Amino acid sequence: MDFALNEEQRMFLTMFGDFATKEVAPQAEEADHQEDLYEDVLRKAAEQGFLGATLPDAYDGAELDHVSYVLLLETLARESASVAVALAAHVSLVAMSILEHGSDEQKETWLPAMSAGEVIGALALTEPDAGSDSAALQTRATPDGDEVVLDGVKTWVTNGEIAGLFLIVAQGPDGADAFLVPRDTPGLIVGYREPTLGLRSVAFNTLYLEKCRVAQTARLGGAGEGFVVAQPAWDRFAVAMAATGLGLAAASVDLAAQFAAERVQFGVPIAQKQAIQQYMAEAFVQVEGLRYPVYRAAWLIDQGKDVDVPASAAKHLGAGIARGVTNRMLQVMGGYGYMEDYPMARKYRDARMLGVVGGSTEMHAHRIACEVFAGQDIEIAP
Amino acid sequence: MDFTFAPEHVALRRMIREFAQAEVVPLAMEIDREHRVPQETMRKLGEMGLLGVCFPQEYGGMGAGEIGYCILMEELGRVCTSTTTNVGAHIGIGAMVIYLDGNEEQKKRYLTPLARGEKIAAFGLTEPNAGSDAAAIRTRAVREGDSWILDGGKVFITNGGYADIITVMAVTDPALGARGGVTAFIVETDWEGFQVAREEDKMGIRGTSTAELVFEELRVPQENVLGKVGEGFVSFMKSLDMGRLTLGAACLGGAQASLEWAVRWAGTRKQFGAELAHKQSIQWMIANVATEVEALRSLVYRVGWMVDMGQPFTQLAAMCKLYGSEVASRAVDTALQIHGGLGLSRDFPLELAFRDARIAEIFEGTNEVQRIVIASNIFRERGVRIRP
Amino acid sequence: MRVVLIVGRVLDPQGFVVKAKAGRIFVNQETYLMQPADRCALEAALRIKDGTEAEVVVLPRRVLEDDDVLRRALAVGGDRAVALTGEQFAEADDGAMAGVLAAAVGRLEPVDLLLTGATTLDTGQGQLGVRLAEALGWPQIVGGWDVGIVDQNVEVVCRGEGGYVTCRVGLPAVVTVVPGALKLRYADGMRLINVYRDEGVVERWDVDDLVGEDAPAALLENRGREFPPERERGDRAAGNVTEMAQAAADALRQWVR
Repeated sequence: MDFALNEEQRMFLTMFGDFATKEVAPQAEEADHQEDLYEDVLRKAAEQGFLGATLPDAYDGAELDHVSYVLLLETLARESASVAVALAAHVSLVAMSILEHGSDEQKETWLPAMSAGEVIGALALTEPDAGSDSAALQTRATPDGDEVVLDGVKTWVTNGEIAGLFLIVAQGPDGADAFLVPRDTPGLIVGYREPTLGLRSVAFNTLYLEKCRVAQTARLGGAGEGFVVAQPAWDRFAVAMAATGLGLAAASVDLAAQFAAERVQFGVPIAQKQAIQQYMAEAFVQVEGLRYPVYRAAWLIDQGKDVDVPASAAKHLGAGIARGVTNRMLQVMGGYGYMEDYPMARKYRDARMLGVVGGSTEMHAHRIACEVFAGQDIEIAP
Repeated sequence: MDFTFAPEHVALRRMIREFAQAEVVPLAMEIDREHRVPQETMRKLGEMGLLGVCFPQEYGGMGAGEIGYCILMEELGRVCTSTTTNVGAHIGIGAMVIYLDGNEEQKKRYLTPLARGEKIAAFGLTEPNAGSDAAAIRTRAVREGDSWILDGGKVFITNGGYADIITVMAVTDPALGARGGVTAFIVETDWEGFQVAREEDKMGIRGTSTAELVFEELRVPQENVLGKVGEGFVSFMKSLDMGRLTLGAACLGGAQASLEWAVRWAGTRKQFGAELAHKQSIQWMIANVATEVEALRSLVYRVGWMVDMGQPFTQLAAMCKLYGSEVASRAVDTALQIHGGLGLSRDFPLELAFRDARIAEIFEGTNEVQRIVIASNIFRERGVRIRP
Repeated sequence: MRVVLIVGRVLDPQGFVVKAKAGRIFVNQETYLMQPADRCALEAALRIKDGTEAEVVVLPRRVLEDDDVLRRALAVGGDRAVALTGEQFAEADDGAMAGVLAAAVGRLEPVDLLLTGATTLDTGQGQLGVRLAEALGWPQIVGGWDVGIVDQNVEVVCRGEGGYVTCRVGLPAVVTVVPGALKLRYADGMRLINVYRDEGVVERWDVDDLVGEDAPAALLENRGREFPPERERGDRAAGNVTEMAQAAADALRQWVR
């Protein structure tokens, strides 16, 4: 096993860091307060090729390997988890789904525009009664000649507010179907943007489909194969969320370490207090412990391997560690950690979102449990 | 051992619960959004005498004891942490320190209107370089004739932006430090030289005032020295213990409420064809939280009883605060997780409770300080003196 | 001026569950609330007392097992409370209690006004205020929203046809107040603590002393309890609004036949 980043990856890492520091960091606090959607940051990211991060050059993508892509998300998340989440929803959920399952025409139509950032992608899967139970879809896709009529409500559509293209999973006659629906399609209504605890610079919208007609050719993948498209997308996104958690946690450790080294109480910097050292050591260990599952999951994607359980494992671990580490690091910063003038409070709130965004911890745990029992000839019910 | 509450405490709890439901709940999300103190709530609580719940009736208080105060904090804690913070700073440290160490004249002049809710109190200790290390304060008080002149400032003062009476800790003898060099002064906020500089922008408890205060040649008459000159810390430490217990009670209320939210949702929300309550992972979460809440309840009311019996309670009060804040955090985190996406939405009160709960592990002495207090007490009994 | 207020208690609905299939009520938590209509009557009484020398005396609707409801009335401002004891009257209905309470009012003379909540068949027996007025020979105004004293009269605002009507009658009189009319004030904290700490604050009268051989007889006989039959599920109308309206109209016609 070679644990080193190759030269190219190291170079990218520097580049990503520069971008994050120059373009994202200065805006992060204000964007969170105003619940801005970083549109100009996304534009600049597009100029760097980030919005087509893993897409081939043929579609104007940057052709990054998945490990580099994950490093990008981690680096962006250090400054703003929202940017990472918005980017990941665009790339992992939509762009790569089109790459994997799209017809040539679909790829030509959408991927270059997505790489350029002209069209932002959003996946619409979750529904009011289909949260963890994502298979309980009530949105219907009813064939009508050479069209399909979509009816239903989708919630928690990441990027909904700014998306030009929606990947919608609905219940068709043969099972779940996935459709690529442009924003301006009649009958598609982008609704309420959810005000959230954290990730306040990502849009989570409700989407209404009222007799929304799309061509049969808008289907992505085969009939009834909606989850063949959506499940791998979901897995990629889980890895991306784990990477986001990693960036959040790592950055919070650095913030707290800086604070602890400067803050003098009882005559010494609190870094000299053993309890604080314990906290910092534990946090460091947890962050390190998260790196391997995240990068390995990304590497498996690069190898073309199934990444279902590794993705769940990374996400399960990542959400927990992001939560725990940001919580502890906030404690190290005391009252200052609680003030919104400092970045820690925002990291804490953002980290908490990861317990649900990207699939709840409990759902990932179930999938992992199934894997644990896989060799035992038993079917584990959810 | 009789674990039942006295009839007056049962009646008190019922009244406060009704009040909380009718008057506090409707404002909880609004004050968070608007970042304002619910003055109307403080006024109503004052009118009912609840802002003097634990003080003797001879001073305008309700005479319901520490148990009564715990009940007030628990019932309010169920619905709004900003309100318990405002109330706790007023009763528990603001007015309490005057009750514990004021002379008769000071109690008549200050404690009575505070107990009746006619005026609001705060306590001014924390400074930029003196948080956990409270002894490192620098605000100076210099004697001048029959007054003291105060110069300096305070930060993170709850109620600081609107209190009428603030007990300020200042250094009267820099050479002596905490032991003998710090004095408590009762300051009226409309005096010249007192200024509210700014309000903090906090992640939670946004319905509270967390103010930065500036004192510039603030003249305080000699009669307003609280307790003896140089013994400010003694007064402060006593009231701090009381405050820790009742913060534990507020956390108990919050934890209980979180548990109830979680149970309600788990019993209603259907996924995979059945209510979440049928999932063992959910059952385990609920059982764990419920057990901790019961343990906390026993701890808080036992310590409340000890206070009313006049027994020493420093170490146990610290445990109430330490354990209470952590139980409340775990409880609200569990409730949040069980509610899935709904728990993350600002249209639903749970994420507010989540942001609000976080402060409990930090203020009124961080949980690190609480652990130091507990460990110090334990080791002192064996003759080992620990320095923080 | 002396106002007599009659208050009762009901089981807290949050503490029990009705299971029609089992034909039973499961009481999970036996806690009691003050009868909602009586809360309003209490507030009316206190408003009359506000700023005057009036005295509010509180009596119970029933022979109560504990006097918590009476204490609550004292805590919010009632001056005196009397609990009634007497095993044999434990199950007495409104008719019998009217006789008992009339005797109690007699013992409290002079009484100017008697207030209680207006109950209905759903919320009680709906008879107490009415029968008490008969027993006392006083005029009555039933179903009031707001109550005030003007000279030696009581003025009551009631809901009439399409609006409100103000009724006025000379004292002494009986007035019943509807639930939801007035919001009961919160108790003064100090008063609450003192009322509940004072074990003897509620007086006790034995019903036998009050009525002796003239014990009023109950008018109702409790023969048992029955749940309504389970209803069948209805049909769901489908289609557009016109089609649904048609289906509903057709169904109604059929049921009517």
